Amino acid sequence: MFKLNLKIALRNLWKNKTSSFINVIGLAIGLAACLMLLLYVTYEWNFDKQGKNAENLYTVMTNIPGDNGKISNTFEGSTTALGPLLKEEIPEIKHLARMNYLKKALIAVGENSFKKLGKFAEPEILKLFDYQYIVGNAATAMQNPKSVILTESTAKVLFGSTQVLNRVVKYQDKEDLTVSAVIKDLPDNTSATLKFDYLMPWAFYEMVEASAKELNWGNFSFVTMALLDPNADITKVNQKIDKVVKVHLEQANQPYFLYPLNKLHLYGKFENGVNVGGDIEQIYLFVALAFGILMIACINFMNMATAKSEKRAKEVGIKKTIGANRVSLIMQFLTESMVLTFIAVIVAIALLEIFLPTFNNLLNIKLSIGYFSASSWMWILGIVFLTGLIAGSYPAFYLSAFNPIQTLKKRIKSGGILAINLRQVLVVGQFCFAIILIISTMVIYRQIQFIKNRPMGIDVNALVEIPQDGELKTKFEVVKSQLLKSGAVTAVSQSSVGLSHRGQNFMDVKWEGMTKPLNTQLFNQVATTYDFIKTNGIKLKEGRDFSKNFASDSAGVLVSAAALKVFGYTNPIGKTVTIFDDKYTIVGVFDDYVWDSPYQSNNPVIVFFDPNRTGTITMRLNEENSIAQNIVAITEITKQVNPAYPTDIKFLNSIYLEKYNSEKTLGILSNLFGGLAIFVSCLGLYGLVAYSAEQRTKEFGVRKVLGASLLNLMQLLSLSFVKMIIVSIIIAVPLSFYLMNKWLMKFEFHTEISWWIIPIAGFGTLIMALVTVSFQAYKSAKANPVDALKYE
Amino acid sequence: MIKIENLEKVYKTEEIETTALNGINLHVKEGEFVSIMGPSGCGKSTLLNVMGLLDKPESGSYKFIDTELLTLNDRERSNFRKRNMGFVFQNFNLIDELTVFENIELPLIYNKVPAGERKKLVNEIIGRMNIVNRSGHFPQQLSGGQQQRVAVARALVTKPKLVLADEPTGNLDSTHGNEVMELLCELNETGTTIVMVTHSSHDASFSNRIINLKDGHVISEKINKGKTEELI
Repeated sequence: MFKLNLKIALRNLWKNKTSSFINVIGLAIGLAACLMLLLYVTYEWNFDKQGKNAENLYTVMTNIPGDNGKISNTFEGSTTALGPLLKEEIPEIKHLARMNYLKKALIAVGENSFKKLGKFAEPEILKLFDYQYIVGNAATAMQNPKSVILTESTAKVLFGSTQVLNRVVKYQDKEDLTVSAVIKDLPDNTSATLKFDYLMPWAFYEMVEASAKELNWGNFSFVTMALLDPNADITKVNQKIDKVVKVHLEQANQPYFLYPLNKLHLYGKFENGVNVGGDIEQIYLFVALAFGILMIACINFMNMATAKSEKRAKEVGIKKTIGANRVSLIMQFLTESMVLTFIAVIVAIALLEIFLPTFNNLLNIKLSIGYFSASSWMWILGIVFLTGLIAGSYPAFYLSAFNPIQTLKKRIKSGGILAINLRQVLVVGQFCFAIILIISTMVIYRQIQFIKNRPMGIDVNALVEIPQDGELKTKFEVVKSQLLKSGAVTAVSQSSVGLSHRGQNFMDVKWEGMTKPLNTQLFNQVATTYDFIKTNGIKLKEGRDFSKNFASDSAGVLVSAAALKVFGYTNPIGKTVTIFDDKYTIVGVFDDYVWDSPYQSNNPVIVFFDPNRTGTITMRLNEENSIAQNIVAITEITKQVNPAYPTDIKFLNSIYLEKYNSEKTLGILSNLFGGLAIFVSCLGLYGLVAYSAEQRTKEFGVRKVLGASLLNLMQLLSLSFVKMIIVSIIIAVPLSFYLMNKWLMKFEFHTEISWWIIPIAGFGTLIMALVTVSFQAYKSAKANPVDALKYE
Repeated sequence: MIKIENLEKVYKTEEIETTALNGINLHVKEGEFVSIMGPSGCGKSTLLNVMGLLDKPESGSYKFIDTELLTLNDRERSNFRKRNMGFVFQNFNLIDELTVFENIELPLIYNKVPAGERKKLVNEIIGRMNIVNRSGHFPQQLSGGQQQRVAVARALVTKPKLVLADEPTGNLDSTHGNEVMELLCELNETGTTIVMVTHSSHDASFSNRIINLKDGHVISEKINKGKTEELI
């Protein structure tokens, strides 16, 4: 029976080439889009889930208290004192390791030097994560403080080989470290805090970083990760932690809690200390998008199949007469849709192979189809089965229900009232989806433009920065004067962090006339020396920049307009603020500038004068020279002073562009898949019109003989379809307005949805549909009426 | 073999009600060849459809070797039909996507006959119908007469007790028509009961008994003497 069904399916496909083509191409596009998005979703979903301990790994989160007993901020990070305490007091913790955040640092073999992501961690990290050792092993890899574990690609870059046990590398141009192990590269979807190029023991960290050695409760620059007993109850463990921290440390007012590491990537957003989702929302969106497109393709299949029912009715009648029951007919039609889906998935995989590199480039990730993994085939086959079932079930139930006498004796009215309505509903649904995607794309694009056009408070054009490493720290003044003399730059400044940076937050601020006992507003801090305002193009509102003419500036601060608002000073210059118990005088007030997310107001900034807190050198390029010329000059000078380090020049405008990445991804995806949705919908429309034209060939012939014009006939054929598109527009426009407004409300700074988006989306869709319909309508209206009539 | 009593069938549309069968009583003996004749719209095709369990009457009784068929549900009707009945239509009703062989094989598949036996049975009947060299062809590649032979072959392959033929020669020229009628006669001679609806008195002359319908009533019955004697 199955063989026969298969034969009928294949012969039918071959016989109706146009509709088969439309179905296969439509489904293939739908499947390719769906598979592509699902690959992406799987990639995101599996973040930090690869290791065998992944289920029981937790990271310490810290809650920052705010006003009215609420929690103002929650982040992954903790202090050095917490880890040892937890290890001692919480029996459920099997292993625990303190580590730092990742930092790019110099690692070299002879002349071969690179800045790579280095990490320091306590040896128990090797028990938390089951790294795959190429050489060396977990037992010995972190015994010697001056040892280093390299990843495979780091080893290859440095040595050209992975067989490098006991070879020596130089860290930050100072310390010699012995390679104690080489491990396989970490998966791409590993959290940024864990994805190192080389790993060094905490004991060595204590030698190079004083803050790592002391057990302190005030510096949150560390990460603590723990492996819990599989039977541990995380709620109880967290209650214990709360208690233990309070008993051991009275002044500890920040509650810590353990949070599953494998959830942090997608569920990383906290409000008042409670998780409120995170990037998982985007994942839901992409899954909806994936299945939406696939659904559109399935609808094409259903519509074509039911539209052609008249042709198939006879076959159903015959089979029923000679003994087929309904189940066997349903099986036959389902086989047909499965066969079609199977062909489509082969085309889809080919499409995927062609477009995946582009997609990877767009999103800056590395996705690939795991041809050798059983699970990816299970997924693919699962989707084929599901698609075949969805696309095939409605036609199967519809066609198999035909009454044999009617089908054999009379002509079956194609559809019946209900079927025609359902087909219309499906077409309207398809176009609604497409229009919503078009409007969303436009709104997302407008929002990105809006944010990009928002004044940033700094002039990032012609601004570059380099990390202040090695000799650049000690010989900054020399480098600065050489750079200025070379004419490559017009201004240079050093600062503890780059213009765009992660929050360097603190709260211990007091000001004159402060009414509440404790400050609850997080401030951001930057330490610099001279020319900070000038180099960065920040607008000074009052006072002045730090100056060599005022020795007292070492106790002076510059504050942002937002900071001034918190202090409530009317004449700020000369007023004082107390920070970490030290008194500072305000010498200048500058306009707020964007250093964090451009979508919301950033925390107020206080700029200190401190030549010892180095980090980044920022330079304003001389725009009279070519950029290349300037870069060559800068490279030459820095290389001369600091030969051990590669010169790593970054343009601030490209750093700032990265801030738009996640919205850009959303824009790209909705653009791409919106386009595909429209295309597949139009493909289906074309099929329906073509079929309707075929059915009405005789009617058209008669009408033409009676004097109908080409336009009359085109109207006749197009009108019913155009009506459906108009209904879709009427439904989709308010819906997408509602949805996009909701999306925009997520952003503190957001654009409004302009009225002109409606006509553009509406007419755009209508025109595309009209072109599709007219093409076929013209073809059939133009046909010779005699040909149509002599068929009888 | 067949006992039909007080059969009534009404077709309803929004505006009108048409009584297609109005208290039909009909008995058919095993091995008989019965023709049903009458003007267009007299109910003869409806009667055939009811006999073939393709349509349900409003009331009456339809017994097939003592089994009442009108009380069966859809699945039972379908099962009964595929085991006991074969159909031949005016417009052949072959499946365009299947070859001659596959078309004939289809009812055997629905009757769950094992593949080996199916092949044997199909080849046997193809030989009998003289269409051996056409078995790999598709219906569109055959003449009308050949298509009807295939249809007859398909009706007979399951060795049904009853063959229902609806104007089997309606779409054929007289030569091919006669061929098909002779085929039905041969079949009847081997013991198969045949009920045929026809407009043609020539075709009806091949049967043992001719029943005339008008407005849903049986108005006359005629024994075809020459044939009956043969039967006796």
